[in-house]
Amino acid sequence: MSKPKGVYDNAATGDTSFRRTWDRDEYAQKAAERLAREARERKERYEAKLAGKKYIPKSEPDADAKETKFDDSKMIEARRDRIRLDENLNKVQIVPLGTTGGRRGKGPGYYCEACDLNFTNSLEYVEHLNSKQHLSATGQTDAVERATLEMVRERLAWLKQRKHDQDKAEEFDLGKRLAERKKIEEQERLERKERKKVKKEEARTRKAQMSTENSEQSGLVDEDAAVMARMMGFGGFSSTKTR
Amino acid sequence: MSKTDLPDAKAMLDSRGLYDGPTIHSMNPLLLMEKIIRERIIDSMYWKEQAWGLNAATLLDRAVELQFIGGQYANQKPTPFICLILKMLQLNPEREILLEYVQDEDFKYLRVLAAFYIRLAWPAPEIYKTLEPLMADYRKIRLRTQSGYKLTFVDEFIDELLTKERVCDIALPRMPTRAQLEDLDELEPREPLVSDVESDEEGDGEREEGEMMEE
Repeated sequence: MSKPKGVYDNAATGDTSFRRTWDRDEYAQKAAERLAREARERKERYEAKLAGKKYIPKSEPDADAKETKFDDSKMIEARRDRIRLDENLNKVQIVPLGTTGGRRGKGPGYYCEACDLNFTNSLEYVEHLNSKQHLSATGQTDAVERATLEMVRERLAWLKQRKHDQDKAEEFDLGKRLAERKKIEEQERLERKERKKVKKEEARTRKAQMSTENSEQSGLVDEDAAVMARMMGFGGFSSTKTR
Repeated sequence: MSKTDLPDAKAMLDSRGLYDGPTIHSMNPLLLMEKIIRERIIDSMYWKEQAWGLNAATLLDRAVELQFIGGQYANQKPTPFICLILKMLQLNPEREILLEYVQDEDFKYLRVLAAFYIRLAWPAPEIYKTLEPLMADYRKIRLRTQSGYKLTFVDEFIDELLTKERVCDIALPRMPTRAQLEDLDELEPREPLVSDVESDEEGDGEREEGEMMEE
């Protein structure tokens, strides 16, 4: 048998496989881009200084991103359902290694997929869902459509109809359930009757048997007892009290 | 009036600079509620989860679900009722919409909610004119207080709104009494609801007699 391996000798995983790996090419490209941008900025700053103007940095890519986001964003709608804060209650979750602190990435608690943020308490999480950051990440604007009188009337009519339907459904259910219950009770009653009948029958047959056996045995038993009683000096086990 | 509403009260309560939004009684509507209770509402889960992003139409969904009225309960938690009042102050719905709320027969808590808002926001003569007809509504409502639930009625609650200074842990704006407004010729004398009842009683009496005869 070979020598037991320690944690660091495990060739299959490698002792440092839990560490993050980096895409070197990607970062090299990023660095090159940054250097080029800085060089351009330096040049622009220098030219502005020569021309006697104040240099104002341009942030073109950001502006583009904002515009495209704003186009297909929609207004906030009221929540249809409750936020399910107890979704992960009493569940065991596997938390990736390296998520010890900070909000980035999935960890224990409430996780917002759209923003890749993690929260450790429900109030913070709900506040995040209401925040501008989350709204822009999910393509919503920070505004609610103002209701007109027609919208209010429509909504109220819908709610009334819903209430009406619910009441109706309940009534219908009640009648049906009563009928069902009656049927079940009737059946139970019949079953009970049947059982009682069977029991009575059994009891009667047993009683009849017992009585015939007793009449056969009682003679014998009595004779023995009388002999025994006479030997012991008394007539029987019944009371001898005279009135 | 703007075509959009705000999802919450943050912008309206921003204390930097002058307030230039819609006003009620020439002040920021949200300030009609005292600071302490207002902050408790804004910190509450109901406000953040259920009352967020409502408008005058979707507010109905929440108002219909109300189970009780009241100010604060248990350990000074704001009731959903009072949260929705703050929401209405923030939304500042139009007059017609509020009348629609109040005149609806099916949902008693919606009626009470709108009546409370009207008492907070409207001028005195309008309040009397709109709320007094509601005194013919005798339906039961539940009032939740710090110590537990109490039974009250819609007409009783409306009467409290018209006569008391503090209802549901909120100090109501000062309002002249009905008599004062009548003296100023801003209100007609009130037509009592009782006159109807008398004729009803006669009808009842007849019916009772009929029943007696049958027996």
